[in-house]
Amino acid sequence: MIFIAIILGCIVGALIGVNMPMISYSYSGYLAIAIIAALDSVFGGIASTLKKNFDLKIFVSGFFGNAILSILLTYLGQKLNVDIYLAAIVVFVGRMFNNLAIIRRYYLDKWTEKRQKNKKVEAKEMTKK
Amino acid sequence: MNKKQIAITLGVMCFLLTIAICVQLRTMSSASSTVSQTLSDNGLRDEVLKMKEKYDNAYRELENAQKELEKIRQEATQNDSTSEAKEQELRENNILLGNTDVKGDGVEVYLEDAKNANSINPSYQIIHFGDIQDVVNELKNAGAEAIEINGQRLVNTSAITCEGNIIKINGERVGSPFHIRAIGSQSLLYGALTRAGSCLDIIREYGNTAEVTRVDDITIQKYAGSITYKYMKEDK
Repeated sequence: MIFIAIILGCIVGALIGVNMPMISYSYSGYLAIAIIAALDSVFGGIASTLKKNFDLKIFVSGFFGNAILSILLTYLGQKLNVDIYLAAIVVFVGRMFNNLAIIRRYYLDKWTEKRQKNKKVEAKEMTKK
Repeated sequence: MNKKQIAITLGVMCFLLTIAICVQLRTMSSASSTVSQTLSDNGLRDEVLKMKEKYDNAYRELENAQKELEKIRQEATQNDSTSEAKEQELRENNILLGNTDVKGDGVEVYLEDAKNANSINPSYQIIHFGDIQDVVNELKNAGAEAIEINGQRLVNTSAITCEGNIIKINGERVGSPFHIRAIGSQSLLYGALTRAGSCLDIIREYGNTAEVTRVDDITIQKYAGSITYKYMKEDK
């Protein structure tokens, strides 16, 4: 259900995005950092759904808040001549890996559980025979 | 919190995200196809792109400012007969210099590289800058008053140059097919270009396309740059 919604959103977004006007080159750096922040939020959302502690308010505020904050930090970094956006990338990508690890472990656990159950059933059937 | 709501929110977020990614991808692919290895090269490329954007913006501003100047000049000379004469003179000079869009009957010459290259020397089968110069010379000789090649107005400082494999006019690249439009006496211009042994005949010899048509009411754009001088003075 959730994955169908995500895939549907991606497809519709790609179709509309292809026909959107281009932004000017000087702002593309800001958009890139906002994309990284939003990507992190989406992975976080999926991970928290799997852990069953998904909170809509936290998710939506994180999605927009992180994107805007990272844009502001990038702007500030450019004014101060410090590459602050590198710090934002490190944090967001690090968290992305964390969330991916959570998602991966959830499905691995599910898979091993299933296999163990099947083995138990087989073993029971063997003893019956 | 039901599952449906979660699914819808995540879907909407992914939707926004993919739009942003698509826009970013398109912007980056239009900016440059290759990313260089070193940081300094990337920085320089960044600078060039930003400067280009700035140039475009400045050029747009210049155009607006010129329009405003024109308006102010007109207002200033409305009630004054002597300045009206001056204004008239100014306008005529601007027309002669190529600083205004002009309109009139004339001809259009169409030149294109040969479509199927089958000659021993492929150099014969492309339009060279010399060919364009010949056509322009012929047009000027026949009394053309305003000439434009692929949107580049020819003025007194214009040069048609060959830069390796590209042709530059007024410092801007132009490429085949060429549309050369000229305002002047239609019969004279047409006759000069269609006579036997004319420059178009020579261009056509190896399979290149060269056509001339009479066109009524051509509009020729003004010169995009500015004409300045630095070294010459008036000799009294």
